[in-house]
Amino acid sequence: MDELLKLAEIACRAAVRAGADFADASVEQGRGVSISIEKNAIQSSDARQWARISVRAFVNGGTGWFSGSGTSEEAAADAGRRAAEAAKAAEPDPDFVDLVSPAPLPEVPGLYDPALAEIAPGAVAEWAVSNVDSARAVCGDAIVSGRSGVSWNRWAFANNLGVAVTQQTTAASVNAHVVIRRGEDVGSFFEWDSARGLADLEVEGIGARAASEALRYLGSRPVKTGVMPVVFGPLSSDGLIMGLCAAASAEEIQRRRSFLIGKKGEQVASEALTLVDDPLIPGGLSSSRCDGDGFPHRRLTLVERGVLKTYLHSHYTARKSGEENTGHSTRGGIAPTNVIPALGDKTAADIITEVDDGIYVALANPVPDTASGQLSTLVDAGFRIERGRLTHPLKNTMIAGHGLEVLCNIDVVSSDYRAEPGRVLPTVRVRAMNVASAD
Amino acid sequence: MAAKAIEMKKQLARLRDEALRHRAQFAEVRFASLRQTSIVLQDGRADRVAERSRSGLGVRVLLDGAWGFASTESPVYADWLTCLESAVSLARVSSARIEQPVELAEVEPVVDEVRAEFAVDPAGVPLDRKLAAIRGYEEASARRAGDRAANLLTGYSDAREVEIVCNTRGTLVSSERVRTLVWHTITARDGSVLQRGREIRGEQAGFELVEATPAEELSVKAAARAVSLLRAEPAPAGKFPAIFHPSITGLLVHEAIGHNAEADHVLSGTSILEGKLGAKIAADCVTIVDDATIPGSWGSYRYDSEGVPGRRRVLVENGVLKQFMHSLETAARMGVAPNGSARADGFVHRPIVRMSNTMIEPGEQSLDELMADIDVGILLRGGQWGYVWCEKGQYTCHAGEGVMIRDGQLAEQVRDVSISGMTLETLANVLGASRDFELQMPGNCGKNGQSMPVNGGGPYLKVREIVVGGQA
Repeated sequence: MDELLKLAEIACRAAVRAGADFADASVEQGRGVSISIEKNAIQSSDARQWARISVRAFVNGGTGWFSGSGTSEEAAADAGRRAAEAAKAAEPDPDFVDLVSPAPLPEVPGLYDPALAEIAPGAVAEWAVSNVDSARAVCGDAIVSGRSGVSWNRWAFANNLGVAVTQQTTAASVNAHVVIRRGEDVGSFFEWDSARGLADLEVEGIGARAASEALRYLGSRPVKTGVMPVVFGPLSSDGLIMGLCAAASAEEIQRRRSFLIGKKGEQVASEALTLVDDPLIPGGLSSSRCDGDGFPHRRLTLVERGVLKTYLHSHYTARKSGEENTGHSTRGGIAPTNVIPALGDKTAADIITEVDDGIYVALANPVPDTASGQLSTLVDAGFRIERGRLTHPLKNTMIAGHGLEVLCNIDVVSSDYRAEPGRVLPTVRVRAMNVASAD
Repeated sequence: MAAKAIEMKKQLARLRDEALRHRAQFAEVRFASLRQTSIVLQDGRADRVAERSRSGLGVRVLLDGAWGFASTESPVYADWLTCLESAVSLARVSSARIEQPVELAEVEPVVDEVRAEFAVDPAGVPLDRKLAAIRGYEEASARRAGDRAANLLTGYSDAREVEIVCNTRGTLVSSERVRTLVWHTITARDGSVLQRGREIRGEQAGFELVEATPAEELSVKAAARAVSLLRAEPAPAGKFPAIFHPSITGLLVHEAIGHNAEADHVLSGTSILEGKLGAKIAADCVTIVDDATIPGSWGSYRYDSEGVPGRRRVLVENGVLKQFMHSLETAARMGVAPNGSARADGFVHRPIVRMSNTMIEPGEQSLDELMADIDVGILLRGGQWGYVWCEKGQYTCHAGEGVMIRDGQLAEQVRDVSISGMTLETLANVLGASRDFELQMPGNCGKNGQSMPVNGGGPYLKVREIVVGGQA
């Protein structure tokens, strides 16, 4: 990948020659194949190649960007010049100090699998077809749509202070959306798996899992509006957790648009919640050697027994506030990587059994608004819980609350979880939440 | 025509002819380019100026009844040939595993060149003039919000898109589109309470859009809303009679009906409208149109990405489902004429069935008349986002704000809230539509990983009841 790194360095030099004080450049090259399924048959097979460069230049702290197609030396130099010209048009930013300086970077194993990089499109098509077959083995009239895909990406990053990084990754995914109709009644569910290596990918059985779940969602009904315990399953608890992390972005804090302003060191969730961000997990989907600024990645505790330990920083926000850089830049934004909740000592089944009257949320996106903290969202798929049992699937049901109240009302995190590459997705129970429905 | 454009068309035609040598039943080569300039002004400083430039080729081949598609960012013809071979080879992968061969509807081939229409070419406007214009928006917002302003974000972007579609039916269409967009988001603060206001204006137009958009209609409006929401209480939870502002009507019609009326959803067995053509699916006062021909609107186009003319499509007329939106493929499968609804997000994606500007037609009542017989209800406005589970007909929309209706009058304001409903129940429960009409939701709709410019709107719409995801 030396040739990509050379292009990134050419772009940085061109930006500085054109008047930039600082510059960094990212060069990517890759290819991917995806197979789409509609109504149980292949709809299309698509291939994609990309080669692109993106340059960020700084003049008196003002930022200029240029991103474009192509990975020639001419394209790199042109991108550098144009980023510098854009930076001259931006206004000075006294909070900007400099870019990241070179430092040793950790290696993260398991991000690249040559078997995936070389896989034939026919094999990827077989994954898709096998999931149709497995779904229809569970339910003969299941309607299956979905996708299987692989991608291979080479990335190089450099800045004018000498940071130079390369990384090669592969990724594969299989998903299935299964619909089962019984007259006007409809049950549906979406399942997927993804991985950085072929050995970690569940290529069969996704369709069967989606079909089994879809059958459970036949016969949905509304529930009574009220305040009740809400159990978030592994696929929905993530929204609460990632919503908290999004509001902990130092950019949102410094720009005075987060409901976590002034909450560092304070209780923002119940003691049941401890969150670690670990970008170095081998094979993790959000793992990498460094963040978008080229700053070395490391493991970090974000929330400890409900107390917010740190905001998520980029180099810029850390310099601006005089705090430690946490390495969460996405080069233009801030985001967590692999967020791992600490597990409790009750299973998901135990947690449900303890609920007398509540709901179970299987699919939803319960992310509080970053500024207001308000959370108001549809339960995409869920169940009524009565006397410790899941009794019927939910229809037209919503949940609401303020993010901080909801997080502080978490009373238990499960001991069992769904594992995704780099991620641990447990079941989480909130003692009481507003539930609105059409009953 | 510039020599470069003529040469590009020649190269595309050459590649299309090459596809025929691979025994393709149909081939489409599509070149797309985008040049975009954007400025973000935050808290008084233009701290980000960006330029984006992308171009490339997408090749779609129908071979032995199956599709293959490939794309490349390379401008080199030899790489285009490799791209074509990749599409051919992928079609062969598909053809071994299809159940029903793909057929395409017949349409008259079109040879045309569409130039963007604008008064002031944004490419000719210096950056400092663009910056001065949006700084005016920010200053007006700051004045309106006073010491309640916590964060001010103002954005401007202009883009020039070119799409050239060349296929084996003889179509060769070049479409140029110029878009200009301005937006303002303010976060207002009172103690620990933060509330946001956001307004956006976007059209297929030049810099004249900015010159014709006063701050009062953009940033001042956003600031006034954010500040007033600081005093609002959370919305109540439960079922309520509701009136939708045109922006919520726009979300409803897009999410609840629009996606279900996309013929690929219908054919894939995931639409609640399957088998309902000609059936009554909504109240008499509901007429729903998807219209790609509205001059300057964000979702308009003269030709779709298959080179078929865009048109006005009446989806629902007086409550009766009249037609779906179609590509060449879905039209053939349903035995109807294509209606120009296949759009592709740049060159990296194949065309799929998409909406354009989707709306409910206006009615005959005033807002006051719609509210008159509501004892306790809610007026929802500030439509922000939504999504739908097509197969269940379950949708949700997020409103930036609401106002309670008590005894037929607007009462206290409530904070941001989501609503949900079942599409067919909601449509059957529409009780009336206002004369007032707005089509002002320029945005991007996501489907199958593709993001496409669309617009939406309609009248104030009265609905018998809706589930409000508020707090008790």
